Amino acid sequence: MGALTDYVQFVLMPQMFNGLTIGVAVILMALGLTIIFGLLDVFNMAHGEFYALGAYLGVTLASRGVSFWLLLVLVPLLLLPAGFLVDRALIQRVFHQKERHMLTMLLTFGLAIVMEDLFKAAYGPNTLKPDSPLQGGTELLGNFFPTYRLFLVGIGTFTIVAVWFIVNRTRFGSMVRAAALDRHMAASLGVPVRRVYSTTFAFGVALAGLSGVLLSPIYSVFPTMGKDFILMAFTAVILGGFGSIRGVVLGGLVLTQIQALSSLYVSPVWGDPIVFGIMVLVLFFRPQGLFGGRLGHA
Amino acid sequence: MTGAVPILEVCDLSVKFGPLMAVNDVSFAVRRGVITSVIGPNGAGKSTLFNLVSGAVLPRGGKVLLDGKDVTGERPERLVRMGLSRSFQITNVFPELSVRENLRLAAQVLEPRSKAFLPTRASALTLERVEELLASFRLTERQDELAGYLSHGEQRRLEIAVAAACRPKLLLLDEPTQGMSHGDTQDTAALIREIGKTVTILLIEHDIDLVMELSQHVMVMHQGKKLAEGSPQEVRGDPAVEAAYFGKAHAAN
Amino acid sequence: MDTLDPVLPLQRTAPPREARASTVQGRLAQVFIVLALVFTAVAVPLGDTFFLRLGTEALIFSGLAMSVDLLLGFTGMLSLGQALYFGIGAYASALVLKHVTPSFWAAIGAALAVSTVAGSIAALLSIRARGVYFALITFGMAQVVSKVVYNTRGIIGGSDGIIGIPQIQVNLGLFRVDTASGPAFFLLVLALMLLAYFGLAYLLRTPAGRLLVAVRTNEARVPFLGYNTRQAKFLAFVLAANLAAFSGALYPMLRGFVSPELMYFHVSGDSVVTVIIGGLGTLIGPIYGSVIVTALKSVLGTYTEHYPIIIGSLFMLAVVAFPRGLVGGIESLVARRRGGAR
Repeated sequence: MGALTDYVQFVLMPQMFNGLTIGVAVILMALGLTIIFGLLDVFNMAHGEFYALGAYLGVTLASRGVSFWLLLVLVPLLLLPAGFLVDRALIQRVFHQKERHMLTMLLTFGLAIVMEDLFKAAYGPNTLKPDSPLQGGTELLGNFFPTYRLFLVGIGTFTIVAVWFIVNRTRFGSMVRAAALDRHMAASLGVPVRRVYSTTFAFGVALAGLSGVLLSPIYSVFPTMGKDFILMAFTAVILGGFGSIRGVVLGGLVLTQIQALSSLYVSPVWGDPIVFGIMVLVLFFRPQGLFGGRLGHA
Repeated sequence: MTGAVPILEVCDLSVKFGPLMAVNDVSFAVRRGVITSVIGPNGAGKSTLFNLVSGAVLPRGGKVLLDGKDVTGERPERLVRMGLSRSFQITNVFPELSVRENLRLAAQVLEPRSKAFLPTRASALTLERVEELLASFRLTERQDELAGYLSHGEQRRLEIAVAAACRPKLLLLDEPTQGMSHGDTQDTAALIREIGKTVTILLIEHDIDLVMELSQHVMVMHQGKKLAEGSPQEVRGDPAVEAAYFGKAHAAN
Repeated sequence: MDTLDPVLPLQRTAPPREARASTVQGRLAQVFIVLALVFTAVAVPLGDTFFLRLGTEALIFSGLAMSVDLLLGFTGMLSLGQALYFGIGAYASALVLKHVTPSFWAAIGAALAVSTVAGSIAALLSIRARGVYFALITFGMAQVVSKVVYNTRGIIGGSDGIIGIPQIQVNLGLFRVDTASGPAFFLLVLALMLLAYFGLAYLLRTPAGRLLVAVRTNEARVPFLGYNTRQAKFLAFVLAANLAAFSGALYPMLRGFVSPELMYFHVSGDSVVTVIIGGLGTLIGPIYGSVIVTALKSVLGTYTEHYPIIIGSLFMLAVVAFPRGLVGGIESLVARRRGGAR
């Protein structure tokens, strides 16, 4: 019996906590993705690159002496106009065509190619590792958890709740949901649909950028970091159901826990195949995910 | 031309969408060679009935019999090959392809499977059928136009032509004259009567005059159920039918 | 003011995909043959092998691009992992040539056999998904398999891949082609790719091929025409996998090695870029596109290693402004010259 509690306390819990840490970051990234798809019907293939952009911006600003705490606010703020611009300049151009899904997918895919290479050009191909702003560990429940990770979970949860609140309890959020349910009706009711789209897209990628900054002390920063993470984010969105906030939270948590716990028993090489396997299973048996539906039903 | 076995028989057919019984225990039969209409106020379940019969939607209960054979739950592609074809209320053709190509695609099912990998030029049957259709549906002049650029009336005609292309035994037409001008409607009525000489037609229509003119048999639906059935005159005089149409301020055209 | 959703774009930039369009495409195919022959005629006396090999590589990847076009341009399925089959074909070919027998036909046969099996399994997993979901599954499959290959040592070689693939003699009955010979192999690959092109172009004039186009244009209507769309898509998928593998099988014959990189996303991505730039849904477009992209990479590559920025931007421009790419642009020009909306 003692062995079991020891196992739970010293093996499972730390691993589950690790999973939780990554889970929060994945959810932040996937939140943006699911909102953008739920509302704009746009699948942002460049989402991973905005995650990377956030991390790179963080590194640059930090090297200019900006404190980490300020970064957490500044980076998403800087990404807002970037996202707004991308939507206006690129996505809106193909948005009104019949093959919108395909075209926006291809377009954002092209953007991803360009962005990844821009990172390589601006920062070089090497990995950068920003320092963790909170060193050391904190004791909690008989275990030592890295303080920074605790902080990450805290701030991430706060942000997720804030997003949920904005979407479901504010006037802006109701405009977003109205436009998601019925674009034409919303427009005729006076909702500035185009502006709502661009703003939502901007927020979505800002979330991804925030995730990038938060994870950079743990995972480091390198040009292909976006591609590495994107499969996980996609799967979390699919598992939870496109457009569902509740879904992506649950999906992200479940997925990262599965990955964290399975790494105890199988080699980490199987991480990606497991995630992918889950994606296929969901698409096969329950394509709408756990809480599938449009943003209006989040 | 009426045979002993009805070409279509529907027994206790039901389907539920969420809490709504869209089609509720409907039973009726269509006799070979008799133009039959299904009418009813909006939301009566007429299109859903078509969806059930044509394999687009799976029924919850009941049976569908085509020429005496149980085809309940069969997929649309199988039903087409068994001789059942349908048109759609909202035009559902191939807008990026030419009129000619639309008809050719619809007719190519007439060829044996062995010709699937031979050039389309080699499928004489199909090409003949396309010429026939272009002529009878008066689309010859527009044959090279992209279907999406046709006028509404022309598109509705194309919609019927595409459904009729495969020489079905039973043709389901879902509001074929929807949105048409009076002149077009009259022309289409004549067309339907012509087709009806060789094909059994089951029709959903809102235009009561058209129904009276064309059909020999009418079924009325209301809120998912069969309300009345009979000859056009019988149905017209039925007080329950009147109540359904006018009593609840659901105006018929 | 928002303009919301017209049914069809008001100005058409390309003529209908019917007889007239294919005359332009056919002409462009003929032009390509001529240009390629001229290229060879110039390269040989100059004693060049580098450009001939580069050209051969461009042609090999054009096969991959054609397979993407078959799926996307004609059947409406976006595959973001087509490099998986290219890599499978390359590995199968490499293994046969190195360990079994230095026979061209055996290598090709092995590649096709493996890709048929792999493609069928993949199709069963992914066909039910549409649009975005389908693209994600193909993306995921390529990611996963390439990582597994990367991590598997032994005969597959893991991250090192397989090297030391011998040069072979291709026995074509009347004469032999030595893969070591720059011009000879170039012409062989040219012939094979043109064979693939004409084969696909023919397919698209048959009822089976037209069915694929119907699936792309209005999938929902197709069952009501008497066809099972899943079967149609399955066949298209396996055919595309075979074409990609066939092209991949030629790669080790050219370069003498294979590596997991051949399955990586950037190869799949490049093939999509190639198709868009060359012309989606034109078949000859991918061939021109592959030559253009390879040339661009080579030229830009001498000035900067950041050519993806330029190619990616070109790609985005194509998606926004020229969705039917180079060939589509030419078709429009020709149509306008002929006068009138047609």
